[in-house]
Amino acid sequence: MKNGPTFFLGLFSVLAISWAGLILGTQAQLGDLRPLYDENEGRAFPLRSSGIAERGQLVYQDLGCVACHTQQVRRPDFGSDKDRGWGERQSVARDYVHQSRPQLGQMRIGPDLVNYGARAKASGMTEQVLLANLHNGWAGMPAYRFLFTQKKVLGETSPHALVGGAAPGYELVPTARARELVAYLLSLNQPYEFPEARPYAPAADEEKPAQ
Amino acid sequence: MTNALQNNVPDGVTDIDTTARYPLFLLVGSGLVWLVLGGVLALINLAQTYTPALLADCAWLTYGRLQAIHETILVYGWFGNGGLAVVLWLLARLGGSPLRGQNYITVGALFWNLAITLSAIGIATGDATSFPLLQMPRYVQAIMLFSFAAIAVPGVLAWSGRRSEVTFVSHWYAVAALFLFPWFFSVAQVMLNFVPMRGTLQAVVATWYAQNVFSLWLAPVAMAAVYYLLPKITGRVIHNYDFAVYGFWTLLFFGCWMGGRHLIGGPVPAWIPTMAIVCAWLVLFHHMIVYFNLREIFRPGGSTVLKFLAIGLGSYLLSAVVDTAFASRALAEVTQFTFFQQAQMQLAFGSVTLIIFGAFYYLVPRLAGAHWPSVSLIRGHFLASVLGFVLLVLALGAAGWTQGLGLNDAEITFVEIASKTKTWLVVATAAQGVLLFGNLLLLLHFLWLVIGQVPVRNLIRQATTVEATVS
Repeated sequence: MKNGPTFFLGLFSVLAISWAGLILGTQAQLGDLRPLYDENEGRAFPLRSSGIAERGQLVYQDLGCVACHTQQVRRPDFGSDKDRGWGERQSVARDYVHQSRPQLGQMRIGPDLVNYGARAKASGMTEQVLLANLHNGWAGMPAYRFLFTQKKVLGETSPHALVGGAAPGYELVPTARARELVAYLLSLNQPYEFPEARPYAPAADEEKPAQ
Repeated sequence: MTNALQNNVPDGVTDIDTTARYPLFLLVGSGLVWLVLGGVLALINLAQTYTPALLADCAWLTYGRLQAIHETILVYGWFGNGGLAVVLWLLARLGGSPLRGQNYITVGALFWNLAITLSAIGIATGDATSFPLLQMPRYVQAIMLFSFAAIAVPGVLAWSGRRSEVTFVSHWYAVAALFLFPWFFSVAQVMLNFVPMRGTLQAVVATWYAQNVFSLWLAPVAMAAVYYLLPKITGRVIHNYDFAVYGFWTLLFFGCWMGGRHLIGGPVPAWIPTMAIVCAWLVLFHHMIVYFNLREIFRPGGSTVLKFLAIGLGSYLLSAVVDTAFASRALAEVTQFTFFQQAQMQLAFGSVTLIIFGAFYYLVPRLAGAHWPSVSLIRGHFLASVLGFVLLVLALGAAGWTQGLGLNDAEITFVEIASKTKTWLVVATAAQGVLLFGNLLLLLHFLWLVIGQVPVRNLIRQATTVEATVS
């Protein structure tokens, strides 16, 4: 290789080809993906999350929750995602169109959270219990005490104060970030169906997707 | 190396080496400091996996933040500084003349290290981007880009001002490492932080970037070093040299498509992981050629430098085979989202680390113009590195496999999985401790060499005589 310019052209095109193929290719395929309008419901899915949940996603991102939790359900015959009750169907790109920074994750030290809101609702988990869990830590998850403050009780107690855990005359109050995080977790839900992702039972299906 | 120890000055020291002493020592030294610091944080981080309460009350050091910090420190602090030192030295040697524009290195290195410090503080206070290997807050990324460019200037000058027109395989890898990083780094920054892509496209860009960090930056650094040092030390030609060019282009061309293997089963088009699996197979052609070119290295009885290079290259080849095997969907079903992927990453990145160690043991005494003061410290570092590295990869692999089997059985709870993996994670922590000990030895040894062996007047740059010429 004696020719400098050709060499650099080669280096440049190697990177450009992979960029064009992978990223422009995906952009061409998914770039104009829109929420799906459901005529029966009269709404487009996925729904936008509330403002407090949006802020909660920032808390989720800044605490690095993604280091232990994924937010993607794989198809029912790949891994145990469905059997663990994480989701009836595979997560697809359309589920994330409203998210400013999807937290797909690459590690499952803890459970997947993409449908956490739905699970919490089904099991009767309330905001208060979740806040208490966040304060105490549970099932191997560390406690996030720094998301709570001890306040002196002046007049009425705060409606969000946790029971116990504070010195007499004081109350343990979740910070705004803790409440945003909990609102975000409870908002995580992919209940709707899309044409590209319907719940299915692999055993009943004649055509299994290629392994 | 042991023979060379009998003389006062290592073999083949030229002006090319000694004149580049100041800026390259800055890179080597800061790389080693980050390596030790990153090792300490990695140790705490691993211990947190089975002791969730460890430092949990400290908002700066939650598991997720600490992981982002130590990853950033090791990749950009250690590999960035250390790799650049090796690449610049190689380009100077290959170019046949002393490095020009050395002040760019000094200024660039200071800002590069400043940027990494700011990244660590930024992540600790909650500004991480949550993209693997690109966790730095967006406000430091521009500093990193410009300081990298500054450090690269002398490399460019060495390339364009080289004595001989003909280039050597080591040249290509070194130049590729120097040039491709700023390109894909700036592309990823724009597409992820400044004008973010929508939805899961971000995950595609992020995995493309993370794969490029290895395939287009760190692997070329390692290859440049081995291709230069092996024939230099053994005095033998490279076998089947004509094929080296194909190995080079195969790595670059197919390597950057492999990132999608982390997205198997994910909410992205299915062709992305498929393409990644195919390219993981194709890139093995590069490893095959590297093996045939450099198999001389696996001859027993070489110097310490050669031993480091041999183990590093061996793990580099092994890592490619493991990555290809576990990219297949059948095996990924078990290992995806587990510690096994961390084991794979440790194997790949660790192989580059070992090769850089080997290169350091060769180039540092030549830059200093003095020998390493202690042979036992070198031996200690070698033993600790190899033992810690092997143990760490095996323990993380075992932990990951156990975890993956547990995850795939819906009856097993996360608490049970944690108790099953705990033993292996404790072993991995011990291995990380051994590695840290070894790296600390290297840092101290380096400081001893620089402060104790090199006369102080040689450490301060001498003003060169101003030549009165009419030009």
